[in-house]
Amino acid sequence: MSEPRRVIVVGGGLAGLAASARLAEQGLAVDLFSLVPVKRSHSVCAQGGINACNEVARQQGFSEWMHMDETLYGGDFLADQPPVYEMTHWAPKIIDLLDRMGVPFNRTHEGFRDLRLFGGSLFKRTHFAGATTGQQLLYALDEQVRRAEAGGAVTKYEHWEFLRPILAEVDGATRCVGIVAQDLRTMQVRSFRASAVVIATGGCGLIFGKSTNSVSCTGAAAARCYLAGAWYANGEMIQVHPTAIPGADKCRLMSESARGEGGRVWVPKTKGDTRHPSQIPPAERWYFLEERYPKYGNLVPRDIASREIFDVCVNMGMGIGGENMVYLDLTHKPREELDLKLKGILEIYEKFAGEDPRDVPMKIFPAMHYTMGGLWTTFTPEERAADPVMDRDSGRQRVTGMALGATNTMQTNIPGLYALGEVNFAYHGATRLGANALLSCIFDGLFAGVGIANSARDEAPDPASLAADVFDAPAKQEQDRAEALRARARAGAPDPEVNPYLIAQELGREMTDASTVVKTGERLEQALGKIRELKDRCARATLADASMWTNQNLAFTRGLSDMLRLAEVILAGGIERKESRGSHYRLDYPDRDDANFWKTTIAEYDADADAPRISYRDVIAPMVEPRARTYGKTQSAPEAVRQPETPAPAAS
Amino acid sequence: MPNATSQNGTVEDPAAPGVGRTRTVRFRVKRCDGPGKPSRWESFDVRVAQGEGANILACLQRIAANPVTAEGAKTTPVVWDAGCLEEVCGACTMVVNGRARQACSALIDTLAPNDGDEITLEPMSKFPVVRDLHVDRSRMFHTLKRLKAWAPIDGLYALGPGPREQPARQQERYAYSTCMTCGCCLEACPQFRLEPQPGRWDTAFVGANAIGQTLLFNEHAIAGELAPDRLDEMLAPGGVSDCGNAQNCVKVCPKEIPLTDAIAAIGRAATIHGLKRFFAR
Amino acid sequence: MPDHDRPAPFMQRHHFLLRRLHSLAGIMPIGVFLMSHLTTNSSVVWGLVNANRIPEGHAGAGTFQHEVNFIHSLPYLILIEVFGLWLPIAFHAVLGVYYATTGRPNHARYPYQDNWRYTLQRISGYVGVLFIFYHIATLRWGWTFLIPGGTQWEAQYAASTLAMALQGGGDGLTTPGLLVSAGYMVGVSLLVFHLANGLWTAAITWGLTVTARAQRRWGLVCAGLGAAMMVMAWSAVIGFATLDPAQARLAEEAVNRGHADPAHVEPAEILTQNPEGGRP
Repeated sequence: MSEPRRVIVVGGGLAGLAASARLAEQGLAVDLFSLVPVKRSHSVCAQGGINACNEVARQQGFSEWMHMDETLYGGDFLADQPPVYEMTHWAPKIIDLLDRMGVPFNRTHEGFRDLRLFGGSLFKRTHFAGATTGQQLLYALDEQVRRAEAGGAVTKYEHWEFLRPILAEVDGATRCVGIVAQDLRTMQVRSFRASAVVIATGGCGLIFGKSTNSVSCTGAAAARCYLAGAWYANGEMIQVHPTAIPGADKCRLMSESARGEGGRVWVPKTKGDTRHPSQIPPAERWYFLEERYPKYGNLVPRDIASREIFDVCVNMGMGIGGENMVYLDLTHKPREELDLKLKGILEIYEKFAGEDPRDVPMKIFPAMHYTMGGLWTTFTPEERAADPVMDRDSGRQRVTGMALGATNTMQTNIPGLYALGEVNFAYHGATRLGANALLSCIFDGLFAGVGIANSARDEAPDPASLAADVFDAPAKQEQDRAEALRARARAGAPDPEVNPYLIAQELGREMTDASTVVKTGERLEQALGKIRELKDRCARATLADASMWTNQNLAFTRGLSDMLRLAEVILAGGIERKESRGSHYRLDYPDRDDANFWKTTIAEYDADADAPRISYRDVIAPMVEPRARTYGKTQSAPEAVRQPETPAPAAS
Repeated sequence: MPNATSQNGTVEDPAAPGVGRTRTVRFRVKRCDGPGKPSRWESFDVRVAQGEGANILACLQRIAANPVTAEGAKTTPVVWDAGCLEEVCGACTMVVNGRARQACSALIDTLAPNDGDEITLEPMSKFPVVRDLHVDRSRMFHTLKRLKAWAPIDGLYALGPGPREQPARQQERYAYSTCMTCGCCLEACPQFRLEPQPGRWDTAFVGANAIGQTLLFNEHAIAGELAPDRLDEMLAPGGVSDCGNAQNCVKVCPKEIPLTDAIAAIGRAATIHGLKRFFAR
Repeated sequence: MPDHDRPAPFMQRHHFLLRRLHSLAGIMPIGVFLMSHLTTNSSVVWGLVNANRIPEGHAGAGTFQHEVNFIHSLPYLILIEVFGLWLPIAFHAVLGVYYATTGRPNHARYPYQDNWRYTLQRISGYVGVLFIFYHIATLRWGWTFLIPGGTQWEAQYAASTLAMALQGGGDGLTTPGLLVSAGYMVGVSLLVFHLANGLWTAAITWGLTVTARAQRRWGLVCAGLGAAMMVMAWSAVIGFATLDPAQARLAEEAVNRGHADPAHVEPAEILTQNPEGGRP
């Protein structure tokens, strides 16, 4: 028997682990690279749950088709539809699989999986394990990969950093045949050969400074693929989560499940009311989401909730005590129920804010949370007869899903280079619905893993047959890049002008201010100018650590340079998209413009200009026609707002 | 930096509402350049504002941006391990003022409320130091492999739903399943010792987290099929009987996992398993 | 280096069994013996209730002598001692010291009550081993050179010779005698703690008390038992350290002659309540 083909997986979160487990099962040898021990990947931070049609919801009128429709509607119809079709139809099977792996999903009295309500849906369709569902799913997949590792099929490279994909001309076409990576302890740089390379490195929250993301979510890996020629799609689609706890180092997520379990968002009706929240009677509270969206209430999609909170705080000046904060209130729920379903997140609030949210309403504000955009990926559509059960609400005879096992599934524009999970642009369009992220990551790994295995086995050239120089040259370039950074190192604080940490702070502030909840063309242009300045300063950045052992200073500075390139992609996409769609809200273009922008933004790196080139591709939408995305919004109720010392009009 | 065109209100500005007076906090950091290198102490003064919500990691970030000691000597940024910053990944565990905990949830306003207050940071002592505050905890993951801490499912294909489970049992398993492999229980355990040599990991005490994980997997219908294998490991040198019942583990666990309950339950299971094995051989 | 060819050392092959036997030995026979031993020895105090049955001398000493006589009447005493006591104690002690050396107490950093008991369990073990060795060597094996005053303990004069051994001779409490008595005080106290705390941890080790609540409840039982044993232990040590050997000798001789029997109760005696206390 010949040696199995090797596949490199970069990233050990849900997508990377699901892919690794699937590839190992398919008989391939997997080299798994991760900045952190995979069990500490950012997927642990996901809290609320994972969506899937289930028996209860089905009997209430829900279906896989409706799950797809909700996802497309939530994403403002920007997502290609066949991948979303396939994902939502696989979802129940994925829940079953996770259940077999031992995920401690919350249970009903009878021992069935319990469900909760989540944003963007009128049906309970979200499975959950306390309020640490991401952690529980990650651990389950981590366990399966550990099992494969014990069996010899998976080799882990933890505390290794992916530096670039290695491309080679094979039969007249450019292919990805391996990667260059660095051991962050020994600082050794070396190349690895592979029949396929999977990028599963998550989002880019750190570009925005304080986000809800982990410190490893720099987006640098995606940027490095982009710099190597991979297309980056819909970069401007960044999700701002409405409920986060602002902190000095990051904004901690307060899960949507808090609202799914009955949490209510409000501000005092009287501007500048300084009373303790428990002293404010219900009639003097403005539940603005419930009033503006009678149908969905507090569970409108995140971009909408964020904009409403923003509107109330910034435009109307109605935030708590005049600050940019609103209350998220769970105090009306019984403690036992809260502990059973939300303990994990309530403890986070208690630890970091110092108040017990079971007794006192939480103070929250929106924060950057998720990267809908990402590396552009493709697939093979597969037309088939509609399923009478799953698609009963579609009114269609034929539907279009993805072909299982197709070798281009979730492949970037570079053959042999795949992108899975948050790092790709598929599934979520212009806004991701809560509890769809865990699903898309696991689905990607399990579904695309089959195609990637086929590609590595049947299509890809044997990497051993390629000349050594193909691998040595890029490794040498990365070695030189690291050496060049090290050569500029001297102990002590660098000049602020070239201090990488201060440049990163400026980047975060600029991006948060210019390109999150509301945007304007002018402000985005200004930010782009700022990024160019930061790029110039970063090129001269001075390190304080010259050592060749666990030099975090070097890795940080190198990553910063790549983050700045991705920031340009995000801004350029935002400037060019002269409409408002989902999370992308332009004050100067407040309406959706399907005629001109019902399109996928493609950013391609122009090496000569060191800047992105923006183009568009049509959205693949064979099933659902776009419709207005209102979530039943009524006219907001400013008349319900009291000015100080004015007698109260009746609350609506 | 708020400017004329500020539209999304960053919370970074020092003048942000709710942020009060600033003070200086002194950090004494035990540093080490790498395995086999000597340790040394360095002090850093960090400005912290009351009410800004700063934690130890925010201060380490400030030190990284300004790596100058309290005495004015130029040095290198302190190396530390961090991930989620919200106490679910376990990465940033270190010894803060003599006690193992996550640095992310160690808030400065609580630990050092007054100007001039001091905080000491040390790497965990039960794991080999990589550099400064960053340690190598691969032994914990090795132990999970040895314990077969997984459900031996038939594969990733759709084979129908998993076993039904009563809520009480799910709640019990969930508690153990929140273990983030941070190592606090091991750092605080008088029986768990530093073993830099991987060759000795399989005979040295496994510690509370491994015993808790043994219970977690043994309690599941599918994962429980491997319970005899796990109990064999628990009977072996370094297994559950090496516990000294100091019960520090349960007190330092940031997730409040009932580790001592697991130790007793596995002690019972091991006794029965040992008797069975004795009479079946 | 793992030794693949050689079988694992004995200690490793039987690791769990030895751990459990170590735990078991501490309770049975050692723990059970300690309880009965303290009951016997504290009779120097509670035996005073027999004042009406032991006419001469110190009634506690007489009662104690009576108990000792009973023990020494047991057949094959030496075999009981060697296999029922000395070997189990040696087994428990040797393994215990070995196990204790595998830990590194850290009560300074983690000053929880449970952790203090962890440390104290090990200290009491170390001190206990030394104390038991001294106790057996001096009193049972006759290593009188270790006793101030050089008293030879004799079974037929159990109380008086023990008192002299603790007091540094027969002429009242000397300074070296005070040291021996204080040593006894410390030694028995630590051993009582060691047993009570050992009973508490054994219940966890064997998996009898699985929840924190059960452990707390059993902890109260162990603490109660420990307190009772502590009272007996202290009363025994104080009783012998303050016992007048001459008074003790009188009672011993009476008991040995058969003129006094604290265990023997005749119905008539209860009825007549002989005020003289002596037997006809």
